[in-house]
Amino acid sequence: MSVLQCNNLTKRYGKAPALEQVNLTVEPGRIVGLLGPNGSGKTTLIKLANGLLTPSEGELLICGAAPGRATHGLVSYLPERTCIPTWMSARQLLDFYGDFYPDFRRDAAEEMLQHLDIPSTQRVKQMSKGTREKVQLIMVMSRQAKLYLLDEPIGGVDPATRDYILSTIIGNYNPEAAVVISTHLISDVEKVLDEVIFINRGKIMLQSSVDEIREEKGMSVDALFREVFKC
Amino acid sequence: MLRKLLKHEFRATGRIMLPLYLILLATSVAANLSLRYLMNSRAWFLNMVGGLLMMALVVAIIGVCVVSFVLMIQRFYRNLLQDEGYVMLTLPVSIHQHIWSKLIVSSVWFIVTGLAVILACCVTAFDITVIKEILWGLGRIFEELRKVQAYYALNGTAIAIEMIVLVFLGLVAMCLQFYAALAAGHSLPSHKMAWSVVWYFGLQFVFQLLGVCAIQILDQVNFFDWGIFNANVHLDVMAGIHIGMLLLTLGTVIYGAVFYGVTTFFLKKRLNLE
Amino acid sequence: MLWQFNDGAPIYAQLVQQIKVGIVSGVFPPGERLPSVRDLATAAGVNPNTMQRALTELERDGLVYSQRTAGRFVTEDKEMIETAKRALAERHISAFLDAMTRLGYRREDVIEMLRQEIKGGGDGDVSLAM
Repeated sequence: MSVLQCNNLTKRYGKAPALEQVNLTVEPGRIVGLLGPNGSGKTTLIKLANGLLTPSEGELLICGAAPGRATHGLVSYLPERTCIPTWMSARQLLDFYGDFYPDFRRDAAEEMLQHLDIPSTQRVKQMSKGTREKVQLIMVMSRQAKLYLLDEPIGGVDPATRDYILSTIIGNYNPEAAVVISTHLISDVEKVLDEVIFINRGKIMLQSSVDEIREEKGMSVDALFREVFKC
Repeated sequence: MLRKLLKHEFRATGRIMLPLYLILLATSVAANLSLRYLMNSRAWFLNMVGGLLMMALVVAIIGVCVVSFVLMIQRFYRNLLQDEGYVMLTLPVSIHQHIWSKLIVSSVWFIVTGLAVILACCVTAFDITVIKEILWGLGRIFEELRKVQAYYALNGTAIAIEMIVLVFLGLVAMCLQFYAALAAGHSLPSHKMAWSVVWYFGLQFVFQLLGVCAIQILDQVNFFDWGIFNANVHLDVMAGIHIGMLLLTLGTVIYGAVFYGVTTFFLKKRLNLE
Repeated sequence: MLWQFNDGAPIYAQLVQQIKVGIVSGVFPPGERLPSVRDLATAAGVNPNTMQRALTELERDGLVYSQRTAGRFVTEDKEMIETAKRALAERHISAFLDAMTRLGYRREDVIEMLRQEIKGGGDGDVSLAM
């Protein structure tokens, strides 16, 4: 069964459509790039999959079920901005995730925190912006979820943090889970991806595997993206 | 899951409320000491310090009440409707559990705040002659009251309990009215806070209008001539008071339930996090 | 080991090439166990499925073999490694000769230049040879 499936999914804000008749599937074991310029509907799609928005038409299924309390347990979500409660210390954050998610691997998270030299008593408030993003990613990737939805995980971070984030994603790869990474920084994520989905103005332009694009078109995904979305 | 939500909600609020209670108790002890020693002193300086300490107690009492109220609103707003909402509303937890956890924790703090204020007053008044005299006077009044009660067959304890329940439910309903207004206001794309205020007063207005209409309609259909309202049905005072209290309580519960419904609707169907 | 990728060619094909270089240059010695797919993928910063595909390709070539439980190993067949090394070298040479032809040199001139370069100590710009 596909981990994520959209059937004629449409979402409108007022009258303006943010997503129009989207059909796509994501299979387990795949790392998929959701690529599109700003405002193309990437975040809307991810919010719909998290039940933070409700579809205007069509449906979105996660492991066969509409988003809700049950699917929240299957999805591990990294929002666009850092939103872990700032008053919590690293240890309280571990407690929090461990309490609510039975699939949370606390030892893995502790190891990754240790690797970054983050003391467990340090509060999120006292951390730098980059550290907060890393900590949030650690919490998200330490879960053994069926679907990871990462919204712009490498936007606005320095190259070293970018490498750290990408290697954390690869290092936690699980053949039974799918990862969806939304971004507009394609050249950085390209070699991490199996598949790419091009999205523009709420419509899916293309869904293909990275090596297929390179083999058939003889160009990188980044180059193809620039061609497709030429202004 | 509700238990876990409650645990973390208490963790988040306790770190603010508990130190406040400690400050309140400390100032009440200080106020007690100042009443006993400083205020009677001849030195103007000690007199002034005593006065300041009494002021501090008043400020602490008001502070605790205000903070427990503000915290009720702020927890709902910050934790569910702001950035933290991304984390909270994607937990494998239902919207109902979220609302109940916020409601229960706020109510508990309201009760504890009430108790803490009473305790602070008791500590302040401990072993002080003037207050002892006042208390003695109050005791006399209660004795007289009891005689009156006995005469009219009133049950003071029952009425007091009913009053407390009513006040408590009123507080809960008030929380829900704030929640409903915030949830509704934040479903809009911009000026979320302004719209929340509009919603708050809008809901207030609609309820008053409905209340007036309901009484009018009931009057039109001669409801008030029927059953217990009928002048021919003789009720004793006690039963009248109980029935009145019961109706008020019922009204408050309905009032709260409607806001609960509004809050869940907007959080489930019209969520619009920034 | 240095992992680098260019545009155009599929990533798995570039991985195959680079692991081959690793094997013939002794970074992965004959008969040694290769790191796990996940570790290799993390080191190279690539998708684990792509790394898996590259290793499968190498297995088909015979440079790598897998033992069901113990993992993947570099072949002990030194002759095969030598052949692969030779093939890689030939590719470099023909690419070099193509480039020189495009610059307008004849084969004899190229050989002469090479002889002088090697005599002179050979501290030319290595990056051009890539």
